[in-house]
Amino acid sequence: MDDKQIREQLRMWILDRSGASPDRLARDDEPILDDGLLSSLDIVEFILFIESLREEEVDIEAIEPEVFNSIDTLMAAFFPDAPVAAGAAG
Amino acid sequence: MATAVELAPRLTEASRRKLWDVHSAFDWPEALEPEAGWYMSPELISIYGTEAWDALDESTRYRLSFYEIANFFSFVLYGERPLISGLMNRMYRKDTLGPITEYLHHFIDEENKHMIMFGEFCNRYAGKIYPEKKLVFPREHAKGEEEISFFCKVLVVEELGDFYNLKMMSDKRIDPLVSKINKVHHVDEARHLAFGRELLAEITERHIQEWDDEETLRFRTWLVDYLKSSWGDFYNPAVYKDTALENGYGVRKAALEHPTCRAFREEASAKLVDYFVDTGLLDERPTL
Repeated sequence: MDDKQIREQLRMWILDRSGASPDRLARDDEPILDDGLLSSLDIVEFILFIESLREEEVDIEAIEPEVFNSIDTLMAAFFPDAPVAAGAAG
Repeated sequence: MATAVELAPRLTEASRRKLWDVHSAFDWPEALEPEAGWYMSPELISIYGTEAWDALDESTRYRLSFYEIANFFSFVLYGERPLISGLMNRMYRKDTLGPITEYLHHFIDEENKHMIMFGEFCNRYAGKIYPEKKLVFPREHAKGEEEISFFCKVLVVEELGDFYNLKMMSDKRIDPLVSKINKVHHVDEARHLAFGRELLAEITERHIQEWDDEETLRFRTWLVDYLKSSWGDFYNPAVYKDTALENGYGVRKAALEHPTCRAFREEASAKLVDYFVDTGLLDERPTL
Protein backbone atom coordinates (compact mmCIF):
# COMPACT_ATOMS: atom_id res chain seq x y z
CA MET A 1 0.00 0.00 0.00
CA ASP A 2 1.25 3.49 -0.75
CA ASP A 3 1.18 6.52 1.50
CA LYS A 4 -2.14 7.78 0.15
CA GLN A 5 -3.89 4.45 0.52
CA ILE A 6 -2.69 4.04 4.10
CA ARG A 7 -3.86 7.55 4.99
CA GLU A 8 -7.28 6.71 3.55
CA GLN A 9 -7.45 3.43 5.47
CA LEU A 10 -6.60 5.22 8.72
CA ARG A 11 -9.16 7.96 8.02
CA MET A 12 -11.91 5.45 7.25
CA TRP A 13 -11.17 3.41 10.38
CA ILE A 14 -11.28 6.47 12.64
CA LEU A 15 -14.49 7.82 11.09
CA ASP A 16 -16.16 4.43 11.21
CA ARG A 17 -15.16 3.86 14.85
CA SER A 18 -16.16 7.33 16.02
CA GLY A 19 -19.26 7.75 13.86
CA ALA A 20 -18.01 11.25 12.92
CA SER A 21 -18.79 12.86 9.57
CA PRO A 22 -16.03 12.78 6.90
CA ASP A 23 -15.45 16.55 7.09
CA ARG A 24 -14.23 16.04 10.64
CA LEU A 25 -11.01 14.60 9.19
CA ALA A 26 -10.85 16.63 6.01
CA ARG A 27 -7.15 17.33 6.57
CA ASP A 28 -4.43 14.99 7.76
CA ASP A 29 -3.28 17.38 10.48
CA GLU A 30 -6.72 17.50 12.16
CA PRO A 31 -6.57 16.41 15.83
CA ILE A 32 -7.76 12.89 16.58
CA LEU A 33 -7.56 12.80 20.35
CA ASP A 34 -8.04 16.40 21.45
CA ASP A 35 -11.70 16.54 20.49
CA GLY A 36 -12.45 13.04 21.68
CA LEU A 37 -12.68 11.42 18.26
CA LEU A 38 -10.96 8.36 19.76
CA SER A 39 -10.67 7.41 23.43
CA SER A 40 -7.94 5.46 25.28
CA LEU A 41 -10.04 2.32 24.82
CA ASP A 42 -10.34 2.87 21.06
CA ILE A 43 -6.56 3.14 20.83
CA VAL A 44 -6.08 -0.54 21.72
CA GLU A 45 -8.25 -1.52 18.76
CA PHE A 46 -6.62 1.11 16.56
CA ILE A 47 -3.12 -0.20 17.30
CA LEU A 48 -4.19 -3.70 16.22
CA PHE A 49 -5.55 -2.21 13.00
CA ILE A 50 -2.27 -0.34 12.41
CA GLU A 51 -0.38 -3.59 13.00
CA SER A 52 -2.52 -5.32 10.39
CA LEU A 53 -1.64 -2.60 7.86
CA ARG A 54 2.06 -2.69 8.74
CA GLU A 55 2.12 -6.49 9.01
CA GLU A 56 4.34 -5.89 12.01
CA GLU A 57 3.68 -5.45 15.72
CA VAL A 58 3.78 -2.04 17.40
CA ASP A 59 6.05 -1.75 20.43
CA ILE A 60 3.81 0.25 22.70
CA GLU A 61 6.60 0.92 25.19
CA ALA A 62 8.62 2.64 22.48
CA ILE A 63 5.99 5.20 21.42
CA GLU A 64 4.67 8.41 22.93
CA PRO A 65 0.93 9.16 23.07
CA GLU A 66 1.59 12.19 20.82
CA VAL A 67 1.94 9.90 17.80
CA PHE A 68 -1.85 9.60 17.86
CA ASN A 69 -2.34 13.36 17.42
CA SER A 70 -3.22 13.24 13.71
CA ILE A 71 -2.98 11.15 10.56
CA ASP A 72 0.27 12.98 9.74
CA THR A 73 1.88 11.98 13.07
CA LEU A 74 0.60 8.41 12.68
CA MET A 75 2.18 8.17 9.25
CA ALA A 76 5.50 9.53 10.52
CA ALA A 77 5.55 7.11 13.47
CA PHE A 78 4.23 3.90 11.93
CA PHE A 79 4.66 4.18 8.18
CA PRO A 80 7.77 6.30 7.61
CA ASP A 81 8.81 4.26 4.58
CA ALA A 82 5.43 4.04 2.83
CA PRO A 83 5.97 4.73 -0.89
CA VAL A 84 4.49 7.95 -2.21
CA ALA A 85 1.69 7.31 -4.71
CA ALA A 86 2.59 7.77 -8.37
CA GLY A 87 1.77 11.29 -9.50
CA ALA A 88 1.30 12.51 -5.91
CA ALA A 89 4.77 14.03 -5.50
CA GLY A 90 5.38 17.73 -6.24
CA MET B 1 -24.24 -8.60 54.71
CA ALA B 2 -20.89 -7.60 56.21
CA THR B 3 -19.37 -4.27 55.20
CA ALA B 4 -15.90 -4.19 53.66
CA VAL B 5 -14.33 -3.11 56.93
CA GLU B 6 -16.10 -5.98 58.75
CA LEU B 7 -15.13 -8.43 56.03
CA ALA B 8 -11.45 -7.43 55.91
CA PRO B 9 -10.27 -9.11 59.18
CA ARG B 10 -11.92 -12.41 58.15
CA LEU B 11 -10.22 -12.26 54.75
CA THR B 12 -6.89 -11.39 56.38
CA GLU B 13 -7.24 -14.45 58.62
CA ALA B 14 -8.09 -16.67 55.62
CA SER B 15 -5.12 -15.31 53.65
CA ARG B 16 -2.80 -16.08 56.55
CA ARG B 17 -4.25 -19.57 56.95
CA LYS B 18 -3.81 -20.29 53.24
CA LEU B 19 -0.43 -18.61 52.84
CA TRP B 20 1.55 -20.20 50.01
CA ASP B 21 5.00 -19.85 48.49
CA VAL B 22 5.01 -19.17 44.77
CA HIS B 23 8.59 -20.40 44.45
CA SER B 24 7.84 -23.88 45.78
CA ALA B 25 4.19 -24.32 44.79
CA PHE B 26 4.87 -25.64 41.28
CA ASP B 27 7.05 -28.24 39.63
CA TRP B 28 7.89 -26.52 36.38
CA PRO B 29 8.63 -29.07 33.62
CA GLU B 30 11.67 -28.23 31.52
CA ALA B 31 9.47 -27.73 28.43
CA LEU B 32 5.88 -28.13 27.23
CA GLU B 33 4.98 -29.46 23.83
CA PRO B 34 2.33 -27.14 22.28
CA GLU B 35 0.89 -29.77 19.97
CA ALA B 36 0.77 -32.56 22.55
CA GLY B 37 -2.65 -31.79 24.03
CA TRP B 38 -4.99 -29.15 25.47
CA TYR B 39 -3.66 -26.22 27.46
CA MET B 40 -6.96 -24.39 27.58
CA SER B 41 -10.42 -25.93 27.61
CA PRO B 42 -11.43 -25.92 23.93
CA GLU B 43 -14.80 -24.29 24.68
CA LEU B 44 -12.92 -21.29 26.13
CA ILE B 45 -10.71 -20.74 23.10
CA SER B 46 -11.46 -17.39 21.49
CA ILE B 47 -12.51 -18.69 18.07
CA TYR B 48 -14.37 -21.80 19.32
CA GLY B 49 -17.58 -22.25 17.37
CA THR B 50 -16.45 -20.18 14.38
CA GLU B 51 -15.69 -21.28 10.82
CA ALA B 52 -11.99 -20.64 11.49
CA TRP B 53 -12.13 -23.14 14.38
CA ASP B 54 -13.97 -25.73 12.31
CA ALA B 55 -11.21 -25.55 9.69
CA LEU B 56 -8.41 -26.49 12.12
CA ASP B 57 -7.03 -29.99 12.55
CA GLU B 58 -6.53 -31.40 16.03
CA SER B 59 -2.83 -30.62 16.44
CA THR B 60 -3.39 -27.00 15.35
CA ARG B 61 -6.21 -26.71 17.87
CA TYR B 62 -3.85 -27.97 20.58
CA ARG B 63 -1.23 -25.46 19.45
CA LEU B 64 -3.77 -22.66 19.49
CA SER B 65 -4.82 -23.66 23.02
CA PHE B 66 -1.18 -23.35 24.11
CA TYR B 67 -0.80 -19.80 22.80
CA GLU B 68 -4.26 -18.86 24.06
CA ILE B 69 -3.36 -19.83 27.62
CA ALA B 70 -0.10 -17.87 27.35
CA ASN B 71 -2.14 -14.88 26.14
CA PHE B 72 -4.67 -15.31 28.97
CA PHE B 73 -1.90 -15.43 31.58
CA SER B 74 -0.21 -12.44 29.90
CA PHE B 75 -3.16 -10.07 29.98
CA VAL B 76 -4.20 -11.11 33.48
CA LEU B 77 -0.61 -10.38 34.54
CA TYR B 78 -0.81 -6.95 32.90
CA GLY B 79 -4.21 -6.38 34.51
CA GLU B 80 -2.74 -7.12 37.92
CA ARG B 81 0.09 -4.63 37.51
CA PRO B 82 -2.03 -1.42 37.75
CA LEU B 83 -4.23 -3.19 40.29
CA ILE B 84 -1.27 -3.62 42.66
CA SER B 85 -0.12 -0.07 42.03
CA GLY B 86 -3.61 1.30 42.70
CA LEU B 87 -4.09 -0.73 45.88
CA MET B 88 -0.70 0.40 47.16
CA ASN B 89 -1.68 4.02 46.67
CA ARG B 90 -4.78 3.41 48.79
CA MET B 91 -2.96 1.87 51.77
CA TYR B 92 -2.46 3.93 54.92
CA ARG B 93 -4.62 6.74 53.62
CA LYS B 94 -6.80 8.57 56.13
CA ASP B 95 -9.95 7.23 54.45
CA THR B 96 -8.66 3.64 54.30
CA LEU B 97 -9.49 2.16 57.67
CA GLY B 98 -6.89 0.01 59.49
CA PRO B 99 -8.42 -3.43 58.85
CA ILE B 100 -8.66 -2.62 55.14
CA THR B 101 -5.02 -1.58 54.89
CA GLU B 102 -4.08 -4.76 56.74
CA TYR B 103 -5.99 -6.88 54.22
CA LEU B 104 -4.56 -4.92 51.29
CA HIS B 105 -1.10 -6.17 52.35
CA HIS B 106 -2.34 -9.72 51.63
CA PHE B 107 -4.26 -8.74 48.52
CA ILE B 108 -1.09 -7.16 47.06
CA ASP B 109 1.11 -10.06 48.21
CA GLU B 110 -1.20 -12.53 46.46
CA GLU B 111 -1.43 -10.48 43.28
CA ASN B 112 2.36 -10.20 43.21
CA LYS B 113 2.61 -13.97 43.46
CA HIS B 114 0.10 -14.39 40.64
CA MET B 115 2.23 -12.16 38.45
CA ILE B 116 5.29 -14.27 39.27
CA MET B 117 3.56 -17.55 38.35
CA PHE B 118 2.01 -16.16 35.16
CA GLY B 119 5.30 -14.57 34.15
CA GLU B 120 7.19 -17.78 34.83
CA PHE B 121 4.80 -19.84 32.70
CA CYS B 122 4.80 -17.41 29.77
CA ASN B 123 8.53 -16.75 29.71
CA ARG B 124 9.52 -20.37 30.30
CA TYR B 125 7.19 -22.02 27.80
CA ALA B 126 6.04 -19.39 25.29
CA GLY B 127 9.32 -17.48 25.44
CA LYS B 128 7.50 -14.20 26.00
CA ILE B 129 4.69 -12.35 27.67
CA TYR B 130 2.25 -11.09 25.06
CA PRO B 131 2.62 -7.31 25.29
CA GLU B 132 -0.43 -5.20 26.04
CA LYS B 133 -1.39 -2.45 23.64
CA LYS B 134 -2.88 -0.02 26.11
CA LEU B 135 -2.17 3.69 26.32
CA VAL B 136 -3.94 5.66 29.02
CA PHE B 137 -4.95 9.24 28.29
CA PRO B 138 -6.19 11.50 31.09
CA ARG B 139 -9.96 11.97 31.21
CA GLU B 140 -12.38 14.05 33.22
CA HIS B 141 -13.92 12.47 36.33
CA ALA B 142 -16.94 13.31 38.46
CA LYS B 143 -16.53 13.23 42.26
CA GLY B 144 -15.65 9.67 43.28
CA GLU B 145 -15.61 8.44 39.68
CA GLU B 146 -11.88 7.75 39.59
CA GLU B 147 -12.20 5.54 42.67
CA ILE B 148 -15.24 3.74 41.25
CA SER B 149 -13.53 3.26 37.87
CA PHE B 150 -10.47 1.78 39.56
CA PHE B 151 -12.46 -0.82 41.47
CA CYS B 152 -14.57 -1.57 38.36
CA LYS B 153 -11.34 -2.38 36.51
CA VAL B 154 -10.24 -4.59 39.41
CA LEU B 155 -13.53 -6.45 39.30
CA VAL B 156 -13.52 -6.86 35.51
CA VAL B 157 -10.05 -8.46 35.38
CA GLU B 158 -10.83 -10.66 38.37
CA GLU B 159 -14.39 -11.72 37.48
CA LEU B 160 -13.61 -12.57 33.85
CA GLY B 161 -10.39 -14.28 34.90
CA ASP B 162 -12.24 -16.27 37.53
CA PHE B 163 -14.82 -17.50 35.02
CA TYR B 164 -11.93 -19.06 33.09
CA ASN B 165 -10.14 -20.27 36.24
CA LEU B 166 -13.23 -22.12 37.43
CA LYS B 167 -13.69 -23.91 34.14
CA MET B 168 -10.03 -24.89 33.76
CA MET B 169 -9.10 -25.81 37.33
CA SER B 170 -11.19 -28.97 37.14
CA ASP B 171 -10.87 -29.77 33.43
CA LYS B 172 -9.11 -33.14 33.23
CA ARG B 173 -8.43 -32.70 29.53
CA ILE B 174 -5.93 -29.90 29.95
CA ASP B 175 -2.31 -29.90 31.09
CA PRO B 176 -2.14 -30.43 34.89
CA LEU B 177 0.23 -27.49 35.43
CA VAL B 178 -2.26 -25.14 33.75
CA SER B 179 -5.10 -26.58 35.87
CA LYS B 180 -3.09 -26.02 39.01
CA ILE B 181 -2.22 -22.42 38.14
CA ASN B 182 -5.92 -21.76 37.55
CA LYS B 183 -6.83 -23.40 40.86
CA VAL B 184 -4.24 -21.45 42.85
CA HIS B 185 -5.41 -18.25 41.23
CA HIS B 186 -9.07 -18.98 41.89
CA VAL B 187 -8.55 -19.68 45.60
CA ASP B 188 -6.99 -16.24 46.18
CA GLU B 189 -9.34 -14.49 43.78
CA ALA B 190 -12.42 -15.74 45.64
CA ARG B 191 -11.36 -13.56 48.60
CA HIS B 192 -10.37 -10.62 46.40
CA LEU B 193 -13.72 -10.74 44.65
CA ALA B 194 -15.72 -10.85 47.88
CA PHE B 195 -13.80 -7.82 49.13
CA GLY B 196 -13.90 -5.91 45.81
CA ARG B 197 -17.64 -6.42 45.31
CA GLU B 198 -18.47 -5.11 48.76
CA LEU B 199 -16.07 -2.17 48.68
CA LEU B 200 -17.16 -1.06 45.22
CA ALA B 201 -20.84 -1.26 46.20
CA GLU B 202 -20.15 0.98 49.22
CA ILE B 203 -18.16 3.54 47.23
CA THR B 204 -20.82 3.55 44.52
CA GLU B 205 -23.63 4.13 47.00
CA ARG B 206 -21.67 7.04 48.45
CA HIS B 207 -21.13 8.85 45.16
CA ILE B 208 -23.45 7.82 42.36
CA GLN B 209 -26.47 9.78 43.64
CA GLU B 210 -24.41 12.97 43.44
CA TRP B 211 -23.70 12.59 39.72
CA ASP B 212 -25.87 14.47 37.23
CA ASP B 213 -27.38 12.71 34.20
CA GLU B 214 -24.49 13.67 31.94
CA GLU B 215 -21.87 12.35 34.37
CA THR B 216 -23.78 9.11 34.89
CA LEU B 217 -24.16 8.56 31.15
CA ARG B 218 -20.47 9.31 30.55
CA PHE B 219 -19.46 6.81 33.23
CA ARG B 220 -21.80 4.09 31.94
CA THR B 221 -20.54 4.56 28.39
CA TRP B 222 -16.98 4.23 29.64
CA LEU B 223 -17.80 1.09 31.66
CA VAL B 224 -19.43 -0.66 28.70
CA ASP B 225 -16.49 0.34 26.46
CA TYR B 226 -14.07 -0.91 29.10
CA LEU B 227 -15.85 -4.28 29.29
CA LYS B 228 -15.79 -4.62 25.50
CA SER B 229 -12.14 -3.63 25.41
CA SER B 230 -11.32 -6.19 28.11
CA TRP B 231 -12.98 -8.88 26.03
CA GLY B 232 -10.90 -7.74 23.09
CA ASP B 233 -7.80 -8.92 24.99
CA PHE B 234 -8.93 -12.52 24.51
CA TYR B 235 -8.81 -12.20 20.69
CA ASN B 236 -5.14 -11.56 20.06
CA PRO B 237 -3.89 -11.52 16.42
CA ALA B 238 -0.38 -12.35 17.71
CA VAL B 239 -1.74 -15.63 19.12
CA TYR B 240 -3.26 -16.54 15.76
CA LYS B 241 0.01 -15.66 14.04
CA ASP B 242 1.99 -17.85 16.46
CA THR B 243 -0.42 -20.68 15.68
CA ALA B 244 0.28 -20.08 11.98
CA LEU B 245 -3.27 -18.94 11.18
CA GLU B 246 -3.38 -16.53 8.26
CA ASN B 247 -4.68 -12.98 8.64
CA GLY B 248 -4.75 -12.82 12.44
CA TYR B 249 -6.50 -9.45 12.45
CA GLY B 250 -9.25 -10.83 10.22
CA VAL B 251 -9.63 -13.90 12.45
CA ARG B 252 -10.02 -11.61 15.46
CA LYS B 253 -12.55 -9.38 13.73
CA ALA B 254 -14.64 -12.33 12.53
CA ALA B 255 -14.62 -13.96 15.98
CA LEU B 256 -15.58 -10.71 17.75
CA GLU B 257 -18.56 -10.37 15.41
CA HIS B 258 -19.55 -14.05 15.45
CA PRO B 259 -22.88 -14.71 17.24
CA THR B 260 -21.50 -17.82 19.02
CA CYS B 261 -18.58 -15.84 20.46
CA ARG B 262 -20.86 -12.95 21.41
CA ALA B 263 -23.23 -15.31 23.21
CA PHE B 264 -20.26 -16.83 25.03
CA ARG B 265 -18.97 -13.40 26.14
CA GLU B 266 -22.40 -12.47 27.44
CA GLU B 267 -22.71 -15.74 29.33
CA ALA B 268 -19.22 -15.39 30.81
CA SER B 269 -19.93 -11.78 31.82
CA ALA B 270 -23.43 -12.41 33.23
CA LYS B 271 -22.45 -12.45 36.90
CA LEU B 272 -20.33 -9.33 36.53
CA VAL B 273 -22.91 -7.45 34.49
CA ASP B 274 -25.69 -8.40 36.94
CA TYR B 275 -23.56 -6.94 39.73
CA PHE B 276 -23.07 -3.70 37.78
CA VAL B 277 -26.82 -3.46 37.14
CA ASP B 278 -27.71 -4.30 40.77
CA THR B 279 -25.38 -1.61 42.10
CA GLY B 280 -26.64 0.98 39.59
CA LEU B 281 -23.30 1.25 37.80
CA LEU B 282 -25.14 0.17 34.64
CA ASP B 283 -28.83 0.60 33.88
CA GLU B 284 -29.10 -2.32 31.44
CA ARG B 285 -27.21 -5.34 30.16
CA PRO B 286 -24.98 -4.28 27.29
CA THR B 287 -24.38 -6.15 24.05
CA LEU B 288 -20.85 -7.48 24.26
